[in-house]
Amino acid sequence: MGEDRTIMSKLMQSSLALVALVAGIATAAAAQSNSGSITATAVVQQPINVVGAVNMSFGNVFPGVNKTITLTTAGAGRFDVTGQATSPVNLAFTSVPTNLVLAPSTNLPVSFIAGYNTTNAAASATSFPVASGAATNLSGTGALFVFLGGTVTPAVNQAAGTYTGTVTLQVTY
Amino acid sequence: MGSLTGSALAGVDSDLCRRVRWWSRAPLLGGLALLTALSPLSAQRAIRVTSVRSLVFGTVFPGVRRTVLRSDPLNSGQLDIRATRNAQVQLIFTLPAVLNGPAGATMPVSFGGNDGGFSATRSVASQVGFDPRVPYVARLNNNSSRASVFLGGSANPIAAQRAGSYTGTVTLTVVYFP
Repeated sequence: MGEDRTIMSKLMQSSLALVALVAGIATAAAAQSNSGSITATAVVQQPINVVGAVNMSFGNVFPGVNKTITLTTAGAGRFDVTGQATSPVNLAFTSVPTNLVLAPSTNLPVSFIAGYNTTNAAASATSFPVASGAATNLSGTGALFVFLGGTVTPAVNQAAGTYTGTVTLQVTY
Repeated sequence: MGSLTGSALAGVDSDLCRRVRWWSRAPLLGGLALLTALSPLSAQRAIRVTSVRSLVFGTVFPGVRRTVLRSDPLNSGQLDIRATRNAQVQLIFTLPAVLNGPAGATMPVSFGGNDGGFSATRSVASQVGFDPRVPYVARLNNNSSRASVFLGGSANPIAAQRAGSYTGTVTLTVVYFP
């Protein structure tokens, strides 16, 4: 009887071991994983640089006499723009005074005109409205020139002195 | 060996004999169980993740954020999965925080809560969006062992971002639950 139980016990042990083996295999196969990679790429273009290259100057102005500076006249202003070659850009004047000011608060009415060119040639510049700006492209070397002219309208009793104002051009891709 | 054991027990204790006979079959039953357990394994396809398309932000201008949608058929990233039909899989992205550029320059990139896309039909036009920043569980179709995962994101160059080419690595780990 004891021998029988020993035999049965061994059989049970072997069976349990087999079940454990099956369970072990099943557990090992419960999950598998794999990985793959891709790249993320970007090409950053040259930053835009805007330089106020030439200040605009109306020179001497007499009371009651309007004075106009065209884009090609001496005294016209100029901004030099550099950036990524041939890239499209937007031109916007973010600060355009309606008066030049004699400190502390004497005004001289002023209005502006503007034009752009991919070369430093105001005569062949493309005019655009100062108020709404323009969209164009940088040159093959990444250059653009923006020219500024305007008209001052002094009153007959305009106070003598030096009037100034600031025009700001913003260029964005 | 089995029959010898049986004859030795005959006439001793019928109940014990019956139990011993049952247990003598146990290895056989265990073997069948083993085969049953192995059978689905042999039918399972080894999981595979394949790179299909890089995530391309293209030309980026300093200070101007550039976003690529996961539904963009040309610029979104794509990886394909191959596993058993109807398998449940967990998708785990390892995403870069920056792309590496010239002279050690880096450019921030970001991924939003809907920038991941899973398509059981492998169609960029038919995706289920998910957050690629956290693990996501999806299921393959009954009639296909393949699926696609798409990825969009945003490049966020600073105003003074150095010009040049930037790259980073996106890794998708797929965990497969048979």
